[in-house]
Amino acid sequence: MSSEIKDDLLEETAYVSPVRKADWLMRVGVFIVALVVVLAIFGPYIGPYDPTRTTIRIAFPPPGLTEIPGLLLDWISGKLDYPPHWMGTDANGYDIYSRVIAAPRTDLKIALLANILSLIVGVFFGLLAGYWRNWGTEFLIRVSDVLQSFPVFIMAMVLVALAGRSSTNIIIALALVYTPIYIRLTRAEVLSQTSRGFVEAARAMGNSELSIALRHVLPNSLTPALIQSSVTIGFAILLTAGLSFVGAGVRPPTPEWGLMISTGANQIVLGEWWPSVFPGLAISLTVFGFAVLGNALERRYEKG
Amino acid sequence: MKRDNPILRVRDLKVGYEVPGDLIVPVDGVSFDLNPREVVGLVGDAGSGKSTTALALMGMARPPGKILGGKVEFDGRDLLTLPDAEIRAIRGRDIGIIVQNPRAALNPMLRVGRQIGHAYRAHNDVTAAAARMQAVEMLRFVGINDPERRVEAYAHELSGGMAQRALIAMALSSAPRLLIADEPTSGLDVTIQAQFLDEMWQTVQKTGSAMLLVSQELGVIANFCDRVLVLHKGRIVEDAPVRKFFAEPQHPYSKEVLRFYQERASGFPLQVSGKPGFLQTKQLTKHFPLRGSDKVVQAVDKVTISVAKGEAVGLVGESGSGKTTVGRCLMRLEHPTAGAVTLDGQDITELGATEMRRMRSRMQIVFQDPFDSVNPRWTVANILDEPLRVHEGGNKAARKQRAVDALKQVDLDPSMMMAKPRDLGASTLQRVNIARALICNPDFVVLDEPTSVLAPRARNSLIALLARLQKELGISYLFISHDLTTVRYLCQRVAVMYLGQIVEEGSVEQVFTAPQHPYSKALLSAHLMPDPTRRRVDNPALAALEGEIPSPIDVPKGCYLASRCPHVVDNCRANLQVLTDLGDDRAVRCERVVNKEITNENAAAHD
Repeated sequence: MSSEIKDDLLEETAYVSPVRKADWLMRVGVFIVALVVVLAIFGPYIGPYDPTRTTIRIAFPPPGLTEIPGLLLDWISGKLDYPPHWMGTDANGYDIYSRVIAAPRTDLKIALLANILSLIVGVFFGLLAGYWRNWGTEFLIRVSDVLQSFPVFIMAMVLVALAGRSSTNIIIALALVYTPIYIRLTRAEVLSQTSRGFVEAARAMGNSELSIALRHVLPNSLTPALIQSSVTIGFAILLTAGLSFVGAGVRPPTPEWGLMISTGANQIVLGEWWPSVFPGLAISLTVFGFAVLGNALERRYEKG
Repeated sequence: MKRDNPILRVRDLKVGYEVPGDLIVPVDGVSFDLNPREVVGLVGDAGSGKSTTALALMGMARPPGKILGGKVEFDGRDLLTLPDAEIRAIRGRDIGIIVQNPRAALNPMLRVGRQIGHAYRAHNDVTAAAARMQAVEMLRFVGINDPERRVEAYAHELSGGMAQRALIAMALSSAPRLLIADEPTSGLDVTIQAQFLDEMWQTVQKTGSAMLLVSQELGVIANFCDRVLVLHKGRIVEDAPVRKFFAEPQHPYSKEVLRFYQERASGFPLQVSGKPGFLQTKQLTKHFPLRGSDKVVQAVDKVTISVAKGEAVGLVGESGSGKTTVGRCLMRLEHPTAGAVTLDGQDITELGATEMRRMRSRMQIVFQDPFDSVNPRWTVANILDEPLRVHEGGNKAARKQRAVDALKQVDLDPSMMMAKPRDLGASTLQRVNIARALICNPDFVVLDEPTSVLAPRARNSLIALLARLQKELGISYLFISHDLTTVRYLCQRVAVMYLGQIVEEGSVEQVFTAPQHPYSKALLSAHLMPDPTRRRVDNPALAALEGEIPSPIDVPKGCYLASRCPHVVDNCRANLQVLTDLGDDRAVRCERVVNKEITNENAAAHD
């Protein structure tokens, strides 16, 4: 019996589908994201210096590429009485390398919490607005549209300026900025899932509407929002840094990439490029990593 | 049947593709001939390599597949070794192909006439104006009304049947000597299917070309083919004249497929003596408001159906006839505009939300698409548990046992409890759907085209299963289908719908052997029985209906069929027709039939 009904309509389409190729870009994304996560956990402890304490070497330039092997040798053999400043020090004497690898704890924490908050709120309202369509939820969508049409950065700046510079306020501001995206995404997916047969079947089975929404529609509508998370976290890191840069973010001396760029920016005219360039590179790489991972996940999801 | 000069000679054709570490060969050494004026059917299960073979005959393979070897000799030239330019000249000019899903095969951005013109100009050195003339001629030839206007249409403006004909027009525009039709009628209504195949068959006879008709439908094969090739696991396992194939199938696969029809060919399902009117609709009506106007789409119009306890009633009709909406109203997935639905004496249209939910354990529905109707993230165990959780609650272990029993009831192995829908085939999953519908022991089940996405072999076993369950459990079915063969084998009574109305109702035997209403007659005359001794092409054409189904937005004043009926008189256009009991337990919505003004000229056209 089972061999008889195994030969099915769907199997014919199954074997024409191309073999899934290994996605190297996705691997790059996974690597960067994993690195950032590891640094968020261990970063503050593994640097050669305390990221929040100054050293006596002010505005010390990083070693040139050719000097690195010699410096390494000196350090290991004990000729050097302090660990080398691989990325130099800034105008206050902070070791930039230690601060660059300590910063993910601040940045990723803010970005992650903001994202989780907006994900939960956004998915909730998205489900509400997608499943129960009436004037109330329609109004909700309009409000979220208005919210979304404000420039993200200005809005976060104003919110933090009004509520004060604390991590909590930054998280709330970012969450508010990103919630409409999740509302839209989830609502769109809910609308498409609601028209599917298994929702109808669940109704015919005697489920209540609430039970259909939570047991059937919600779990099948989460994927786009979860994929968007990766991209959002990347951009939330960028936004956190941006807020710090304009002085609306975390307070010094917290190691934070945006703050470091901002501190270093004054020295760039003096030719001291290193206090800004290294944290800047770190941000670029991180945002790139999250975005690439998000795109790869999305492609994989679309392929099914 | 073998003649000296076949048009096409295929020898040891192999198509395969590589997966890491392995070579898969879906077409593994196929050999056959096609002779002039011959229509050859290529049958076989899904996955047997039919479509791959059809494409390979034109020297093509869908990536990642490749033609690995063999010969395809057309007019003595091996197509597989010809240079690209020469084989392109042959494709379309000498060999035409018609694929499934006509609408997807037409370019949505181009007018139909231009597409046919392009195909024609690719092989004939003519001006655009001449190509357009040819396009009009071809559309006229394939029976499209008003071809001068239709050449200006885009694909979305055509119905499925018309799009299919436009494709045929394209395939025939250069008068090919060989036609390859790959499931050309899947998804078409029976009347259009019959009309279309008639046209193809006549073309082949008129032009002396040959046709390879790939189809899983034995009805199509029996009525139109001269010879049958059975493809099984990439090889031709049987090559026989059509009558011999049906009378004495050789290969085990052929025997198995045919057994179902042979077992049921004699007699009709036995009448049941259950309580009449167990499920009853009275004047059931459903209108959908049309957005942006005060007009309505009249989907269901005063439908009265009665299903006895333990009886299976078929609801047949073409797409757009409103049969699915009737099923949805019965389940209260749509709230009817007017009329009543009673189950066991209780009017379900008046129940409150909570009472209705409770009522749902007594009435269930199985939908058309098995994959769409289950939550894709759930396991079979979750899926089967859901109705029990909603209606009975209680002990988890006991519920699990019920789920296992339900799987056994539909002939599935309990080991698949932890499988997810994507791991299962369509017919297996449809059995899971049936198990889910039956798990709370309902009295009544709506089956909404449950077999239409299944391959014939799976379809047959599902019909046999449904018939067995009906007998064992004493359930009543409303079986909605456009496939008359399945209705004939499963149902005791049948109701024929046209444009939201029931036009004829009676026992399956009455309606199938002697349909009364002109629409039922047309529908049944288009029905292809898998019986080569009474081939459609050997008999004079039966009355087909002219024109197309009117829009359900502006329904005619009198009889809905008046614009298409061959027996129409002035009264028909003026008088609204009423479903009238004929006394012998059947009812017809046609006053001319009731008044015995129409003689039953094509009675017994079917068994």
